[in-house]
Amino acid sequence: MASHSESIIREPLITGKNITYAQITNDVLFPVENKPNKAWWIGFIAASMGATLWLFAMSWTFWYGVGEWGLNKTVGWAWDITSFVWWVGIGHAGTLISAVLLLFRQNWRNSINRSAEAMTIFAVICAATYIFGHMGRTWLAYWTLPLPNQYGSLWVNWNSALMMDVFAISTYFSVSLVFWYTGLLPDISAIRDRATGLRQKIYSVLSFGWTGSVKTWQRFETVSLILAGISTPLVLSVHTIVSFDFATSLEPGWHTTIFPPYFVAGAIFSGFAMVQTLLLVVRKVLGLENYITMFHIESMNKIILVTGSIVGVAYITEFFIAWYSGSEYEQYTFLNRFIGPYWWAACMMYGCNVLMTQLMWFKSIRTSIPIAWGLSIVVNIGMWFERFVIIVVSLHRDYLPSSWAMFYPTWVDVSIFIGSIGLFFTMFLLFLRVLPSVAIAEVKLLLKSSSEQAKKKLIEEGHLDPDQVAYYKESLTKFDSVELADYDKV
Amino acid sequence: MESNKKYWKGIEELNRTPEFVEKNKHEFAEPIPIEEILSGDGLKSKTPRRDFLKALGFGVGAVSLAACQKVPVHKSIPYLIKPEEITPGLANFYVSSYEGSAILVKTREGRPIKIEGNPNDFFGKGGTSAGVQASVLDLYDSSRLKNPLQDGSESGWSQIDSFVKGQLAGIKAGGKKIRIVSSSINSPSTLAVIADFITQYPTAKHINYDAVSYTGIIQANQNSFGKAVLPHYNFDKADIIVSFDADFLGSWISHTEFSRQYMANRAAKALEEKKMSRHIQFESGMSITGSNADVRMPLKPSEEGLAIISLYNALSATTLPGSKKVSDANTDKAITLVAKELLSAKGRALVVSGSNDVATQVLINAINSLLGSYGTTIDLDNPSLQYAGNDAEFVEFANEVKRGEVDAVFFLNANPVYDFYAAKDFTTALAKVKLKVSFAPYNDETAALCNVVAPNSHYLESWGDENAVAGYYTIVQPTINPVYDTRQAEQSLLKWSDNPVKEYYTYIRNNWDKNLLPIAGLSGQSGWETLLQTGFVKAPAKAAGVYTFNRDLNAVAQTILTHSTQVAASGSQLELQIFESPNIGDGKKANNPWLQELPDPVSKVTWDNFAAMSITTAKKIGVEQGDYITITANGYSVDLPVLLQPGQAQGTISVAVGYGRTKAGKVGDKVGQNAYPFHTFRNGTFQTAVAADIKKTGALKYIFAQTQTHHSYEGRSVIHEGTLAQYVKSPASIVGKGEGKENYDLWDEYERPAYNWVMAIDLNACTGCGSCVVACTAENNVPVVGRDEVRNRREMHWIRIDRYYSFNDNGKNVTKEDEIDKLQDLDHVSVTYQPMLCQHCDHAPCETVCPVLATTHSSEGLNQMTYNRCVGTRYCANNCPYKVRRFNWFNYWNDSRFENYVQNEYTELVLNPDVTTRFRGVMEKCSMCVQRIQSGKLKAKLEKRSLKDGEIKMACQQSCPTNAIVFGNLNDPTSEVAKALKSERTYYVLEELNVKPGIGYQAKVRNTTELGA
Repeated sequence: MASHSESIIREPLITGKNITYAQITNDVLFPVENKPNKAWWIGFIAASMGATLWLFAMSWTFWYGVGEWGLNKTVGWAWDITSFVWWVGIGHAGTLISAVLLLFRQNWRNSINRSAEAMTIFAVICAATYIFGHMGRTWLAYWTLPLPNQYGSLWVNWNSALMMDVFAISTYFSVSLVFWYTGLLPDISAIRDRATGLRQKIYSVLSFGWTGSVKTWQRFETVSLILAGISTPLVLSVHTIVSFDFATSLEPGWHTTIFPPYFVAGAIFSGFAMVQTLLLVVRKVLGLENYITMFHIESMNKIILVTGSIVGVAYITEFFIAWYSGSEYEQYTFLNRFIGPYWWAACMMYGCNVLMTQLMWFKSIRTSIPIAWGLSIVVNIGMWFERFVIIVVSLHRDYLPSSWAMFYPTWVDVSIFIGSIGLFFTMFLLFLRVLPSVAIAEVKLLLKSSSEQAKKKLIEEGHLDPDQVAYYKESLTKFDSVELADYDKV
Repeated sequence: MESNKKYWKGIEELNRTPEFVEKNKHEFAEPIPIEEILSGDGLKSKTPRRDFLKALGFGVGAVSLAACQKVPVHKSIPYLIKPEEITPGLANFYVSSYEGSAILVKTREGRPIKIEGNPNDFFGKGGTSAGVQASVLDLYDSSRLKNPLQDGSESGWSQIDSFVKGQLAGIKAGGKKIRIVSSSINSPSTLAVIADFITQYPTAKHINYDAVSYTGIIQANQNSFGKAVLPHYNFDKADIIVSFDADFLGSWISHTEFSRQYMANRAAKALEEKKMSRHIQFESGMSITGSNADVRMPLKPSEEGLAIISLYNALSATTLPGSKKVSDANTDKAITLVAKELLSAKGRALVVSGSNDVATQVLINAINSLLGSYGTTIDLDNPSLQYAGNDAEFVEFANEVKRGEVDAVFFLNANPVYDFYAAKDFTTALAKVKLKVSFAPYNDETAALCNVVAPNSHYLESWGDENAVAGYYTIVQPTINPVYDTRQAEQSLLKWSDNPVKEYYTYIRNNWDKNLLPIAGLSGQSGWETLLQTGFVKAPAKAAGVYTFNRDLNAVAQTILTHSTQVAASGSQLELQIFESPNIGDGKKANNPWLQELPDPVSKVTWDNFAAMSITTAKKIGVEQGDYITITANGYSVDLPVLLQPGQAQGTISVAVGYGRTKAGKVGDKVGQNAYPFHTFRNGTFQTAVAADIKKTGALKYIFAQTQTHHSYEGRSVIHEGTLAQYVKSPASIVGKGEGKENYDLWDEYERPAYNWVMAIDLNACTGCGSCVVACTAENNVPVVGRDEVRNRREMHWIRIDRYYSFNDNGKNVTKEDEIDKLQDLDHVSVTYQPMLCQHCDHAPCETVCPVLATTHSSEGLNQMTYNRCVGTRYCANNCPYKVRRFNWFNYWNDSRFENYVQNEYTELVLNPDVTTRFRGVMEKCSMCVQRIQSGKLKAKLEKRSLKDGEIKMACQQSCPTNAIVFGNLNDPTSEVAKALKSERTYYVLEELNVKPGIGYQAKVRNTTELGA
């Protein structure tokens, strides 16, 4: 946006020498305009095999019934809703990055928002498949909508949190989709302008007649802001409502008022972890080191640390309240997490989410790509187990000891879950091939003000406070995409 | 008349042009290219555009026409000639009789669909056992024989008749023996038919053979009092009951009747008067009776004799020779205390033993005589006729067969190839018999070895009568034509013995007209019709005589002691006790899926038998739950998985008979292992205990299909229990009432203008038998899911009986698992049963969470499930604190994987047309038999009157032999249920959740002052 220079003490958001607008377009569109490389093919084949597994296992479920899963009379939800909440949670980072960080003018979001939003869309699609999949009579799923009908006053139950869920998720999906696509328009037209033949025709239709005029840009900015405004409450509301599924019930371990903030924090936590998982690989494979820099990685790790700690506080609060409530059922439920047959699941949950993320206090860990990547996977695992513990471990031993039962997943449960990851990556990998994985237009905005070369030029111009310059140079040491030797001369 | 007129179709015909003449030679004006098409050339030729369009037009037209066809409508065909008594949609009830109990058979459109107790029945007074409830399913069992068999292949009745008669004529001429082997028959008409048969074939003899035999008691009464009868017991007249291994609430003799009698002295009515009988059980395995006892002492089979001798010594203040104390000091102390209590209750005491040993039973007779039980709690003058088996006679028969003395044998409701202890020898010997006829309705183990199988009709297809206790005669009347080509055994016997009476129906009529109707002062056609409405005649009971035992007991004691030493385990052996399972019985009901899926009352295991063992014993021999052990005794061995059973006497294992059938049918085959060969024949009777070698096998752990795997109630407000002393002192104290708490409500109260249907369940009256579970299954079309699905914890029962163990630790009731784990003494276990079904909460947690309002509340206080609306999110089941909601995981009515249970054209007929079968993906649960409520209300409306209390009965309530369940309208303060709920023992499960359940439970009271502890 601003063409004036930015304070030198801020870390650069784009690194690399001689980056021009054309260079950015070339770099970002490279995977879109060229044949995929070997790494993409390997990933795509693996992912589509996963998606095929998903298709098979889902069809199997529809053919024979939900009984093919490991559920029983006591545990009515298990891997289905666990994975549903997990996927929805993952989606949250995308919305947070694109909407909340936009409103807060956090420009570093510009490099990562596109992929994060795409991740949101695909994660919500994966989540939605579980909603449909877990229903006993999927073919009647439309009954959950308040459709006018000829049965008289046959209506839906607004008291039910599941009902609210239907609206929360569908709103979330549609707003995210519109927001994502709006942001894509200038970039699609960039592809259009460089493409020929059929590709040009397709991208031409997809670009909605984008002209690049000032008026277009102005409207684009306005729409983005409005959509950001609409999306921001969704970041909080969607997982709040998902948490109502549990919080409004009677189940010990579910019936908790802390759930809304706890779930939202957890969602952002897991979402950032997933963004990290994806982008650390994308950055390397697509050669986007200059746009997704160590600054981005560290910033996301900081968010993971903060949200992870919020989640940790929520865990502690839960235990305290369980003890303080004096309710024997509540107390048993929380005790059972450790002394019950699923103690290992709770260890995974608390270990991965709280203990492991505390490592992020160390800068060396925050800025180490392999460790950060490893920890992002750990967080994803931990958050899956969090939902497993909340759902299965609470259900399996609730009020009447006579009905206490164990849940064992079947091959169908496992296949659907692994398959949904395959489905997600299939969609994500296809996205990388056909659409720009970094928001070109938005990154270009930063080139003049916040890029390393702009800052270097400022230093070379030499009107800056030497202390601040030294501070700046110091901050560059963590970057893996900056040649520090260049600064020795200036 | 010939017409000269000639019609022509066109001018060409009239003129007969040469073209016309040429064309007219062919059938079609244009040649049909048949040859080309057949040779294949025609297909190669190009289709002209117009032909293509024609074909397309026709195709599209035909397809659209076909698509206009509506979904096929299956119309039910109305009666062309409607039988007078049948109104479609209304049920007819017919009296009949099953196992000697008068019953009512509910039929719909000519199909029997449910058995209900006859409220005037001598035994159950309307209550029934699970077996009675399940018996209707056997009628439609597709494993039943559909034709008579000769040498294993299908045959017809006339061939069978001529073959059997021919053979019998030859055998009669040869003069060798003819034997009719049956399980106990008490039907006067059947006995008369057999007697007639014997008259025709004088070398014939009838042998009563019971797989689970009561010969010991019968012989003992012969020895003691000169009366070879099975006494009739009056548990309701006993203030103190001592039982040695007699499972009189579960399987022993007349257990349904005993349950009713027993609870008459212990449940609500008695407690109102602050009275309760006292029951002390000494037993090795944990039986349903032991689990209901006030005090239960584990006792090894080898010490049972010692214990009875000790009790006799204590009562008579003498010492029989060879007496010694039982090894466990607590048990010994208990016997002394029990003796004191018994002596102070003379004439109101009853001591029974489940042993089939004559000597043991003689000693029991002596004890009862000392206690003055004869004439009060024991009646020898109106004896039970339920069992008449004579073990020695059957063994003699087996020897006759072995010696080749028998030329013909008829098996009627007897299956010795499966259930005789020496079945192997017997099977080999049976080949020597020329004519072997089985009347088994199935091609069972014995029938498979017979030349002829003449399948007997099901009792619901038959005429018959029964006489299960002296003076009580019940009638069996058919309620449907035979489903398969079967014939009553009596009819066959009449035919084969050339009886002058051709029809068995006429035979019965004659017999009743002459002998039985006069008992009730009835006669002729009108008398007969009265009988067909009442179902039975009852002669006034004879005065029960007082009998005094005055025989020498020294030899008896000696026999008992010798027997004990033979049973005692030595070295690494364990004492094996064989018992009859309350569900499957002696194994004849093994092919009934309702019974197989009914959890064993104590262990909650379905679809299996097992080796029950105490935790201490298991630790000693190094096995855990599910480990397979090989049990070897009498040269026979089986591999069975171990079940850890609290309360099992140490050093013993218990195994149920009735399992391990190989030719029971689709359902019963290969379920469990056969334990009959572990029986021994000693002192003239079959003995049920033996010392067995135990070896752990390396096989993988077995997972039982148990419906409950956590066994303690963790001190939660699920169960409230107390002692009689506490109750008498302060009745409310046992449910912890009077804490003065206030309830706040988020929800509006709704009016219940007419009815508020609620239920009261008396935990003190519930024996845990499971009759309600089967009744509910039959009434509500509850699917059977099979062993694997029960193992997956997906049984569909709408009502279940939760069973909780608690342990006595120095007078403290320990109910929490972590505390139980620390206990040293796990022998003193108390058991509580709790029937659990939808609580129909006024603030039902399931209702608020359903997204599509598929479960809602009625204005009559019912929680209703709308199957059609359910989309299957299972949220309601998750949110149900009682976990009573059941999900249709599969399409149980159409999925071929569940085919062997109820999915076939025959078994479908048992479905109750008033209740829909539920589709896959739909939630279901107890509906409070809403169809019964509805029909009750309709009936009252048609008769222009208000509904009477007790007029509508739930299926579970109706079948309960102990009236533990009361249902009714809470709006009516005078209703039974309103009164029951006013009891100070009433509490609601998980009351603190404020879901306002509609079912109130009455807390359990035990008459305990713990003995020996």
